[in-house]
Amino acid sequence: MRVYGRFELPPDKAVLHRKAVRLEWWTIAFFAAGVALLAVTLGQSQAMKAAWIEDMLGVVPPAAFLVADRYRNRRPNDRYPYGYHRSVSIAFLAGSVTVLGLGGYVVTDSLLRLITRERPPIGLVEVFGYRFWLGWLMIAVMLATMVPAILLGRAKVRLARQLHDKVLFADAEMNRADWLTAGAAVLGVLGIGAGLWWTDAVAALVIGGDIMRDGIRTTRSAVADLMDERPSVVDGSGPHRLPDELLAAVRDQEWVADAWLRLREEGHVFIGELLVVPRPDTDRLLDRLATLEKFARDFNWKVHDLVIAPVDRIEVDRDDDAR
Amino acid sequence: MRWLVAAGAAALLSFAGGCTWPQDAGTTLDDVRGGVLRVGVSEDPPWTHVADDGTPTGAEVRLAQRLAQRLGARIQWCPGSESALMPALKDRVLDLVVGGLDAAAPWTAEVSLTRPYVTMRTVVAVPPGTTVPDDLSGVRVGVRAGTAEVAALAREGAQVVALPEVTGRERMPVVVGEWRLQELGLTPLAHDLSRHDHVWAVPPGENAWQVEVERFLLELSHPEVTRLLAEAEAAP
Repeated sequence: MRVYGRFELPPDKAVLHRKAVRLEWWTIAFFAAGVALLAVTLGQSQAMKAAWIEDMLGVVPPAAFLVADRYRNRRPNDRYPYGYHRSVSIAFLAGSVTVLGLGGYVVTDSLLRLITRERPPIGLVEVFGYRFWLGWLMIAVMLATMVPAILLGRAKVRLARQLHDKVLFADAEMNRADWLTAGAAVLGVLGIGAGLWWTDAVAALVIGGDIMRDGIRTTRSAVADLMDERPSVVDGSGPHRLPDELLAAVRDQEWVADAWLRLREEGHVFIGELLVVPRPDTDRLLDRLATLEKFARDFNWKVHDLVIAPVDRIEVDRDDDAR
Repeated sequence: MRWLVAAGAAALLSFAGGCTWPQDAGTTLDDVRGGVLRVGVSEDPPWTHVADDGTPTGAEVRLAQRLAQRLGARIQWCPGSESALMPALKDRVLDLVVGGLDAAAPWTAEVSLTRPYVTMRTVVAVPPGTTVPDDLSGVRVGVRAGTAEVAALAREGAQVVALPEVTGRERMPVVVGEWRLQELGLTPLAHDLSRHDHVWAVPPGENAWQVEVERFLLELSHPEVTRLLAEAEAAP
């Protein structure tokens, strides 16, 4: 058996991955521009501060993705015999915690503003000799930052599902959070203009709650990944079908009497152990095991680094309801 | 989510309906127009000065009077320190606070500062016929005691001469606001000692009122404010 093999995405997925890397660089550029633009229009208003801080945090998931991208394909070595796939899981955790933190910030900030009955002041602004209400400029900037966030987020969700890339997925969530808060800020500023000081804080509160829920879900999913939970689909909504399908296929081999499989997720790929009980008088066992290993790898591109052990029987020692 | 959209639509409708935009969170502009304008004054000559009998004078007092006239309002003056006036302004007991406020004033958590309406420079100026190198190190410079400019001068290495009052007859370079140059017949040196962006303070969230005040202030020209300051200096 060949060990320390390098993992490569299949060609069609590699193309998608390169596209994702490009998208992430665009995202960073877009957030940097957004931060600069907002810094200029921010003024004294507390209303836009959440959106501004959000734009700063928005750089974390794409940065985590790009850093993980540097590591994930490295060949396993004596020091890291399992390879570097987990770097993707770590990036996923970093991205998820960022989304959660952002939601928490927006919620506490807007709650505080409601409780202290803070009334946001928005006065006049002068641009190129034209004097007008600063609120209009804020709304224009917000709408301008919303468009790329929507487009980038949508493109990333699609890629994330195809690549089974949870970091990318968390980042897409972040983009969604971004344009939602921007939208809330627009409504808030309009409300302030109408003399309803509380609209701003209430809109931010609702959106912040939504972002926090997303953050909790993705953080749970990231922690579960690091706990070697059974593989789940990219948005964490349920178990992945691959382990059951693979086990069924292995059991269908005519020389296999019984089999047992456990897989864990390491970034893009699934890694684990397969126990097989050969039927009595199976000949050429080593050949058959080698063929089975190749079969499992070819079964799906995500199957990587599967250790196969022949055993004489499998006893499942399950004395409670833990699943 | 639906009610958010509804709120946005309502805001847009009220705008389309021709109401003033933006509107106050309270009713300040409506109350002031044709009513009483309650102005807090903190002492900062020549911007503001409160005489012993309580009568306020100064450049910003004149400006506030003009604003009141424009709105058909009667002014009620309330002298006090900034720390006393700002909390009152926050709770809309006052409608406006003036007193040479700087845009960098630390009151933004309580009140709303307007857009800066004028930038005034503090300069080192010399009597005509005197030549002074641009580098001030070692040069004797007169400055009013107890001002931030004393430290600024010291940082530039000048020999500070602290005076109770700068009169322009000291026969040495002195630190003055740019509005005094003409009156005292002094020539400013090339670089400024400090610059201050001047603002007024209004209650937070009273955006119709704030926009009205800002519109009034931004119509002022720099020479106009300089003239008012010079007049205030000249007054006894």
